[in-house]
Amino acid sequence: MNVNLTIDGVPVSVPKGTWLVEAAKTVQQEIPVYCYHTKLGPAGLCRVCLVDIEGMPKLQIACNTPAAEGMVVRTRGARVEAGRAMILELLLVNHPLDCPICDKGGECDLQDYAMAYARGNSDVVDPKTRKPKAVDLGPTIVLDEERCVVCQRCVRFDDIIADERQLVVKDRGAHDIIATATGSPYRHNFTGNVTELCPVGALTSKTYRFKSRPWDLNRTQTTCTQCAVGCQQFADVRYGTLLRTMSVENDDAISDGWLCDRGRYNIGFYASPDRLTQPLYRKGGSFVQIGWDDAFALWGKAITDAIAAKGTPSVGAIGGGRLTNEEAYVLQYLFRKIGVANLDWRSGRQRQATPGANGGALTDIELAQAIVIAGESIEERAPVLWLRVRKAALRGGATVVHAATPAEAVAALPAGATRVALVWDGIDLARGRAFADAFAGVAELSTYVASEQGNARGAEAMGMLPWSGPGYAAARARGRDAAGMFEDARNGSLAVLSMFGVNPVRNAADGAAVAQALVKVPFVVVSELFLTETADRATLVLPAKGAFEKTGTTLNLAGDLLPVNAAVQAPDGVLSDLEMLLGLAAQLDVDLPRAEELDATVIEHMAHAPEDFGFGDSRFASDVASVPEDVPPATILSGGGTWRHDPTLATLQVETPSSQPVGATA
Amino acid sequence: MQSSTIKKNLYNVGAILKGLSITFGYMFRKRPTIQYPSVKKQHAPRFHGLHELRRYGDGQERCIGCELCSSACPANAITVIGAENAPGDRVSPGERHAARYEIDELRCIFCGMCEEACPTDAIVLTPRFEMADYRRGSFIYDKDRLLVPIDAGVGAAPDERPGGIPGDLGRVADIKSTTDVAEGYSATWRGEILKTQRRGLASQ
Amino acid sequence: MPVTKVLTAGIGEADLRNIDVYRERGGYRQWERAVRELKPGDVLDLAEKSGLRGRGGAGFPTGKKWSFLPAEKPLRYLVCNCDEAEPGTFKDHMLIAEAPHLVLEGILLGSYGIECHHAFIYIRGEFKRGYEIFSAALDEARKAGFVGDDLFGSGFNLEVTVQRGAGAYICGEETGLLNSLEGKRGEPRLKPPFPAIEGLYGMPTVVNNVETLAYLVPILEKGAEWFASVGTERSKGYKIVSVSGHVQRPGNYEVALGTTVREIIDIAGGLRPGRNLMAVQPGGGSSACIFEEQLDLPYDYENMAKAGSMLGSGAFVVFDDSTDFVKAAHNLVRFFAHESCGQCTPCREGGHWLERVLERLVHGRGVSGDYEMLLRVSGGITGLNLCALGDSIEPFLKSVLLRFPEQFRARVLKAKETVPV
Repeated sequence: MNVNLTIDGVPVSVPKGTWLVEAAKTVQQEIPVYCYHTKLGPAGLCRVCLVDIEGMPKLQIACNTPAAEGMVVRTRGARVEAGRAMILELLLVNHPLDCPICDKGGECDLQDYAMAYARGNSDVVDPKTRKPKAVDLGPTIVLDEERCVVCQRCVRFDDIIADERQLVVKDRGAHDIIATATGSPYRHNFTGNVTELCPVGALTSKTYRFKSRPWDLNRTQTTCTQCAVGCQQFADVRYGTLLRTMSVENDDAISDGWLCDRGRYNIGFYASPDRLTQPLYRKGGSFVQIGWDDAFALWGKAITDAIAAKGTPSVGAIGGGRLTNEEAYVLQYLFRKIGVANLDWRSGRQRQATPGANGGALTDIELAQAIVIAGESIEERAPVLWLRVRKAALRGGATVVHAATPAEAVAALPAGATRVALVWDGIDLARGRAFADAFAGVAELSTYVASEQGNARGAEAMGMLPWSGPGYAAARARGRDAAGMFEDARNGSLAVLSMFGVNPVRNAADGAAVAQALVKVPFVVVSELFLTETADRATLVLPAKGAFEKTGTTLNLAGDLLPVNAAVQAPDGVLSDLEMLLGLAAQLDVDLPRAEELDATVIEHMAHAPEDFGFGDSRFASDVASVPEDVPPATILSGGGTWRHDPTLATLQVETPSSQPVGATA
Repeated sequence: MQSSTIKKNLYNVGAILKGLSITFGYMFRKRPTIQYPSVKKQHAPRFHGLHELRRYGDGQERCIGCELCSSACPANAITVIGAENAPGDRVSPGERHAARYEIDELRCIFCGMCEEACPTDAIVLTPRFEMADYRRGSFIYDKDRLLVPIDAGVGAAPDERPGGIPGDLGRVADIKSTTDVAEGYSATWRGEILKTQRRGLASQ
Repeated sequence: MPVTKVLTAGIGEADLRNIDVYRERGGYRQWERAVRELKPGDVLDLAEKSGLRGRGGAGFPTGKKWSFLPAEKPLRYLVCNCDEAEPGTFKDHMLIAEAPHLVLEGILLGSYGIECHHAFIYIRGEFKRGYEIFSAALDEARKAGFVGDDLFGSGFNLEVTVQRGAGAYICGEETGLLNSLEGKRGEPRLKPPFPAIEGLYGMPTVVNNVETLAYLVPILEKGAEWFASVGTERSKGYKIVSVSGHVQRPGNYEVALGTTVREIIDIAGGLRPGRNLMAVQPGGGSSACIFEEQLDLPYDYENMAKAGSMLGSGAFVVFDDSTDFVKAAHNLVRFFAHESCGQCTPCREGGHWLERVLERLVHGRGVSGDYEMLLRVSGGITGLNLCALGDSIEPFLKSVLLRFPEQFRARVLKAKETVPV
């Protein structure tokens, strides 16, 4: 039901119960706010959002006044301006004017509103209160108590979004400070969001501390590919260095405006001095640096010779989960064109990434009455998805069920639940099938596979599966899957294995066996950013571009096609996987599809998930029957493959039993 | 005919004498030529010359790496990259200092906006103008060349230092200055003017 | 009009802390009568008809407050506010320490009136003695069968919980009290929703002052008409006035509303000999001063409001001509700045700023413009706050600033002297 009111003389019609501050946005009237936030709701603390409502004796706060029928609201005028100027003057009484060294300076709400609404001078002659500065709040955050305006956005984020309840306000009056309740370091998966919520420079990121001023940054919107959620991100670059990533506030469909600490802070590796910048070729026992032309010639000759000598089953390619859709498509196109069917993206433990039938949108989770997590916890596999699950639980009252067996999960379901979300890790096919079968009767079931690799679903859609081509169409010839290829390698029947952004030695169920198998393959090509365990066993190592260095699309776990845009320039001598495949195609004399054939609409068409399979479809089953039992879960924060963590972020380790220190990677 | 020629020539002599009188007249006037570089002209009080980064009395740098000079610069001549002061190895008094500070003097238009923007009076324009060099690259002045050397006098404004303004900051600071303090810059820094004004106000 | 002892009857004469003494004097008879004979609606009617208004400060009609409770929510709470922290007020402590059974009976009657089955009393942390006495009285009453399940065989259950605060002024604000009672940080809540809709533990809640609830006992005994017959047109009944300051016999005096301010001063023994009256603060630290020309005003809600002040909690502070109003203002503003919870900007920053300026003035180090700043800022923060605490800073300060400007201006340094910072 809508109500009609007037804001600054403009008639507005908004749903009943809309806060005035939101109603004013519909007529492009800015009402300044500090404590109010669209996702956190009103708190009524900063008192800066004052408006004049006809018939009310006092100025009212727009953040906690619902729009009512016939209301006449003025957001300007002498009374409002005097009130706002008073509040801003008060906020500045004890706020240190260290804007020149403040990381927020230039994008600070207090600066902006002080310029727009405050008096130019002040009557304050007394010294400002002193509070602790540069407080080490936790592994990611620095807190400046003096700059704090006590809007409590951070505290409320911790309470109602992250549900961690670590931050509190301590002491009272003008001496109140923000601190963790127990005094222990502030750490969880989403701490970085408070730096964006903070309207002033009180909470700042350690990784961005004093690195730049905001006006010097070049901003590119792109998609985070560190997990399969696909959060939209702003990448801020200065002098060619990626300095920070910021969330996209109106990204309601994917990230809900939040980022996890992995997506936000694990960006230092782009500028790592350890990065590979030249192709490496193994001569004798050690690597020698060679040029790209030689690398392509060696690679092409190895493939041609192997096909001539032993036929196409002796050639294989693994990768796709960390490539763009375009690259994954070209990868399988090129190899299928020369008759190779041994294609797979599943280098690790995961078997399936496409939910198939009943695949839901991320926003469907908020509507669910119960959310069933089958398999590994998603807190680290897909942190922002977990945040949405928490939102469903905290605001929608949904029941979150972690159950070992489908029977337990069904028992834990609230009575009469008709809307259920089922999240599976894609590892154990039988388990996935059992859960899907158990909930098959639910009226509105939405299913998700929380993949480890960012574009796992895209790789499947683009045809990086031994049994399917692009768009899940059945392949002409069925090849061996990754495990099968490693088995062939052990038997000595695999001659050339090309791997793109994968690290099976680390992430496969039996990494040691993979390492032994790789030794028996005459020619192993690995495209990587760093010399990983797998790359270290390769014949030819190709330096690759990272996701922020190339352009393309990616497919997240809910099937949304998202753009990946180049934000930062790659080091000299580094090629993207697409460029490498172009070079190989020239050697193999294959014409690759033209750019327009690869555009987003075509990719989207191919990405459309079919309805003829569900969790644990038999086609995803492995060629190799024996999968070792009791495999410890992989270190998800390390991800494996193309990504490596910034060693300076070793302290970012999250205290859950399943994780290992990030610094232990590589 | 001859007499007229003589008359004419006599007339010319007069003109020559008149002309020479101007020439000789100048011989006895004060000479405008200055024996540069051994003598230097006194500058206007607010002359905008080469930059200098100042220090506090304890030797710490005034610059806090805030980049306001760089954003105020209309010629995009200044590059600053900030960094955090390590607790044990303090560069500037606050939390932040300039890890890199570079001015491209070829781009600089000597407008003094950097000086205006500076919240700590760290960057100042001195009256130095001799920057000639053979390579373009040498006109990018980094912190080593912009920072006033500690032995040149810290804390004081350029004109208040005992040794005056060093001939070349940084690299050749130990070379004796070519500037004669007594004859040279007498009131070349605006601080001097302000001080005079203040003194005047105080006496009133 | 002389002192009329209603609630204070017997205090100092009999040991009212003893349940037997209290019962001999007619105690708990009204409670028994209410449960046995009256319907809850009757109690509410009596409260409404008597014209009883909140004695805690705001003066809101009690019956009306109770009627806001939504009928569709049967689970509701009554909270008795004994976090008496208003500067100058000391009546509630006297009541719970000297007449605990009277207060308890009032709480029981109020609970019955709103049909709640669990009442709370929130006692200020500093009132240790009062807390002990009240807890002992509650135990006695429970043993005697006045509190508990199936009272007097009627099937009506009522439990009373005593909770001690930790000594914060802000916990006297009703939503701050509710937060504190729930174990949260004592910060006022954003309104709406009001406590009558969403209060303690999210349930409809009525918060009443100790004195308000205690008056229910005589109202039930003598009838609403008896109570309404006293007082002025819209301020009915009696009020305990806590007189303090420059009078000869400070203390609690129970008078009918409408007694003039001058009479109250006289009741408290008048001024010290040879002194002249400068100002009277009639309603606690949050109220503005009234001055000599207003002494003949009747002491009731309307006339105090008309005089630019308020009746508040009945803390009646008298200032004679020995008062340094700069010190007095500093003392009060320091109190409010210290007690500010720090949630909202005007109260947190404004109070602290005013306190520091006044502190400078107290030490004779004012600068020109301080006087104007005090007026401008104290007026500026008023009306912008989340709760009433921030709005309480201005009244006293403004009234003395305007009345005694010379006292403040005398503390400002001459232009020649340097500005101390």
